Amino acid sequence: MQGRLSAWLVKHGLVHRSLGFDYQGIETLQIKPEDWHSIAVILYVYGYNYLRSQCAYDVAPGGLLASVYHLTRIEYGIDQPEEVCIKVFASRRNPRIPSVFWVWKSADFQERESYDMLGILYDNHPRLKRILMPESWIGWPLRKDYIAPNFYEIQDAH
Amino acid sequence: MAATMAKFPLLGYFGGKKQLQKRRDFSIAAQQSQVQESQEKAEEERESVRTEKVLGTGGTPLRPVEKQVNVESKNMGREYGGDWLSSATRHVRIYAAYIDPETCAFDQTQMDKLTIILDPTNEFVWTSESCNKVYSYFQELVDHYEGAPLTEYTLRLIGSDIEHYIRKLLYDGEIKYNMDARVLNFSMGKPRMMFNNNDIQPQDVQQS
Repeated sequence: MQGRLSAWLVKHGLVHRSLGFDYQGIETLQIKPEDWHSIAVILYVYGYNYLRSQCAYDVAPGGLLASVYHLTRIEYGIDQPEEVCIKVFASRRNPRIPSVFWVWKSADFQERESYDMLGILYDNHPRLKRILMPESWIGWPLRKDYIAPNFYEIQDAH
Repeated sequence: MAATMAKFPLLGYFGGKKQLQKRRDFSIAAQQSQVQESQEKAEEERESVRTEKVLGTGGTPLRPVEKQVNVESKNMGREYGGDWLSSATRHVRIYAAYIDPETCAFDQTQMDKLTIILDPTNEFVWTSESCNKVYSYFQELVDHYEGAPLTEYTLRLIGSDIEHYIRKLLYDGEIKYNMDARVLNFSMGKPRMMFNNNDIQPQDVQQS
């Protein structure tokens, strides 16, 4: 079972792995971190001009970290735009993924949030620093092995 | 932050107590507040001697900062960031600065000192022993975190541990809620009878 974009990428000899379709029938592809920047540029040229969402998650305890990109092709006079979901997996030890900030500018804050919550280092991001947590915070709060510090904040006031 | 925590001398006092008590007792009589002030001064004098006293009880000996005169507020402006290194929770405020106990002048150039303001809203009734316990615990924590980077995160770790310690003191019955506090919402749990579980003898077991 192969989607349209996957067939197109195969035709042009671009390495990827198809992860099937999600519940809305949107094609999901896995791309290696080292290929991601060039394929992002190719996808932009192909016509995916809108990064609808970028998020990240921790796949499993001790496992990989994933960065997810939802791309849409916005054109005039189309009510069913082409969409695709890209997943890039990185190792927990050295999670480095090229930033797509220079392709889709809207990745700026989203990638900063992914960095803040999961510690994924986006190469070539212009200002990769914490966005939600205080800058002196230690640890990556959304990783599965994160242990929350015993800060006093629960108020059982009446 | 390049600065790391050295063996800090520490500085502790009731930041809000004097002001609040004065404000609260203002309508009664000026004399009374003067009496209280002199009591406070006596307490402060005792603080300078308290090092040996606390040594006897087994806590970490306190190394209070000697009192400074003519302290002025420094580095508080916008050009210095308009912010200060602190950890502020309801009962514990820790600042990386010297704060004058009388005038509340806030000298941010002295970042080698940590100042704790204990219970500014005056929610608990404090005695000098319970205060010294908290100060001694503060000193112990500061010694423990020696070498850690001087950041808000570290200060917050220290402040949270002190809050947990205050909660433990409350549950052991060593301090109690101040029923004259301005906000009476029992932020560490509702008052209960038989606080101190350590003193309760298992009488039924002995009888049977």
